[in-house]
Amino acid sequence: MKELAGRLTALDPAAGEAVRVIAYFDRLAEGRAGAEALVRGAAVLAGVPARLVDAERGVRIRVEADGVRRDTELPPDPRWPSAALTPGGADALWLERPGARPSVVDAVILERAAGAVRLVLDRTRGRAPLEDPALVETLLDATAPEAARLHAARRLGLDPRVPARALARPGLPPRVVAAPAGTPVPELSAGRAGIGPAVAVAELPGSWAAARTALRFTAEGTAHDPGPRVVHADELGGIALLADLVIPGAQPPPDVRALERAAADAPWLLATLHAVTTTASLRAAAAEATVHHSTLQDRLVHAEQLLGWPVRTPQGRLRLHLALTMRRLTRP
Amino acid sequence: MPPVPPPFDPELAAALELIKDLVPPSLTMEDIETVRQGPGMRMLADLDLTAGGAFAVEERAVPGPQGAPEISLLICTPTGPAPARPRPVVYHVHGGGMVVGTNRVGVDVALEWARELDLVVVSVEYRLAPEHPHPAPVEDVYAGLLWTAEHAGELGADPERIVIAGASAGGGLTAALALMLRDREGPRPIGQLLLCPMLDDRNDTPSTHQMAGLGVWDRTANDTGWTALLGERRGGPDVSPYAAPARAEDLSGLPPAFLDVGSAETFRDEVVAFASRLWQAGGIAELHVWPGGFHGFDGFAPQAALSRSARAAHLDWLRRLLAE
Repeated sequence: MKELAGRLTALDPAAGEAVRVIAYFDRLAEGRAGAEALVRGAAVLAGVPARLVDAERGVRIRVEADGVRRDTELPPDPRWPSAALTPGGADALWLERPGARPSVVDAVILERAAGAVRLVLDRTRGRAPLEDPALVETLLDATAPEAARLHAARRLGLDPRVPARALARPGLPPRVVAAPAGTPVPELSAGRAGIGPAVAVAELPGSWAAARTALRFTAEGTAHDPGPRVVHADELGGIALLADLVIPGAQPPPDVRALERAAADAPWLLATLHAVTTTASLRAAAAEATVHHSTLQDRLVHAEQLLGWPVRTPQGRLRLHLALTMRRLTRP
Repeated sequence: MPPVPPPFDPELAAALELIKDLVPPSLTMEDIETVRQGPGMRMLADLDLTAGGAFAVEERAVPGPQGAPEISLLICTPTGPAPARPRPVVYHVHGGGMVVGTNRVGVDVALEWARELDLVVVSVEYRLAPEHPHPAPVEDVYAGLLWTAEHAGELGADPERIVIAGASAGGGLTAALALMLRDREGPRPIGQLLLCPMLDDRNDTPSTHQMAGLGVWDRTANDTGWTALLGERRGGPDVSPYAAPARAEDLSGLPPAFLDVGSAETFRDEVVAFASRLWQAGGIAELHVWPGGFHGFDGFAPQAALSRSARAAHLDWLRRLLAE
């Protein structure tokens, strides 16, 4: 009775009405089909190649419309119809349909396939990938032989051909994320983080060192500890040199001691001065510190008396900026 | 026997979801005419059998069995340069439960083999049941094979290198043809390719019960097909092995066989038993049971991973067979 109805209607994109698409992916999910089968379903139903790229988990699958898997290193075209695996996440599933507005059916395919893929990856690759502490430690250990580090990278699911970056967070184990060119740094939960540069997998110990340095430049973002919660090593520039000069936990430099004394007298001081150093004008600084412009002027006069140096001249602002930065670097 | 059926392969289950309205599991006698007029048959008429010019396609009316009408052979010859020696032939027998189908049904699969291995494909049109009960279909198939062997030279083909092949009802007819050629001392094919073949009119193996109401060809449909072919003789004591090859008492002296079947289909147990009996008779057979496969899955869902494996196995067997 084979082929009574002719070839599979799945090969005819016109037959892929939304209801059938939903039923198709529901059955795949019920049967615990793997990620490749889901991507293949998207490709076959849409009639164009489909791609799954989950850089963080090291998953790259591309299947053509005839169902044959043919992976590629080329980046997806942002104009293709696409979907994220999680609401608000980075796009991960694409239909290679150039120059066309996505149809309703495309949208349904992407939505159902992405939802099913997320469940599969959570099941088969874990929700928190790349977190095996021993492997990550080896990967980031500059004294470990390169072969051992590359082996650890493979075990962690990192593609050695794709750059990666190390992330440092206070009190938490190191984290490594794949960072293909052109992709943003993954969203981090609240808290301080230093982000190392994207490097070849073998160079990750360097990215880790830079991430730990960047972490020292972070702050809690509170009135007592104003400053950025997340710092990218790439964006520090020459300021990074300060990290070598200021020893954590040691006696702070004189300007930092002056800041601490002044802050003890005026609780508003640190947040106000941070606003002055991170905005383009005093008017903007007043808005940032949520005070009236004249109030800000009064406060700065007071601050200059307490500190003993001007903060409204370019030189004074630089000295103030350095003092606030060194204050974070002295953190034990 | 517990009624729990083996699960379908996930990709195949999803594909079944798409075709379940077009190909319901249980065909009845009343449905036959509808299916014959259905969209599937119309699609077949539009198939490009030249495969983009790779084959010259000809329909030829040739003599049928003694006293019966002529039959139509669909002959597809590669258009590429002729090889040093005549090409082997795939003699193809279409499926359709003995009750529907034409010589175009499934021929695209044979053409894929032919393209890969440079073969001539001859696909036979046989009279259908219930209008034409046994032995009309198998005698037509036999007559077409005789013509093919006798006229192979005209097709640039080698009459000593004919492989007979068919899926489903076509697989059953192919197995019957092999028996007939042995018994009547006709031309000897070098191999028989039996894809999910329909072999046993008794319709009473565990798998026929287990898969009732599931897939694309269940126990009810099977009863319909066999009753159309055999009428009241179906399942009785006097069924010819040329109608239902599982009835053959002697399976010795047959050409090497390739058999395959899904684990989740009506025909599973009869195909496995037939392969075992070929070995017990001292024969050569290769058997594949595709886990979670429904009947004809590789034709209905060619993109599925399991279908790819099945198709690769067919081609591998043919390549080995023809490499001698």
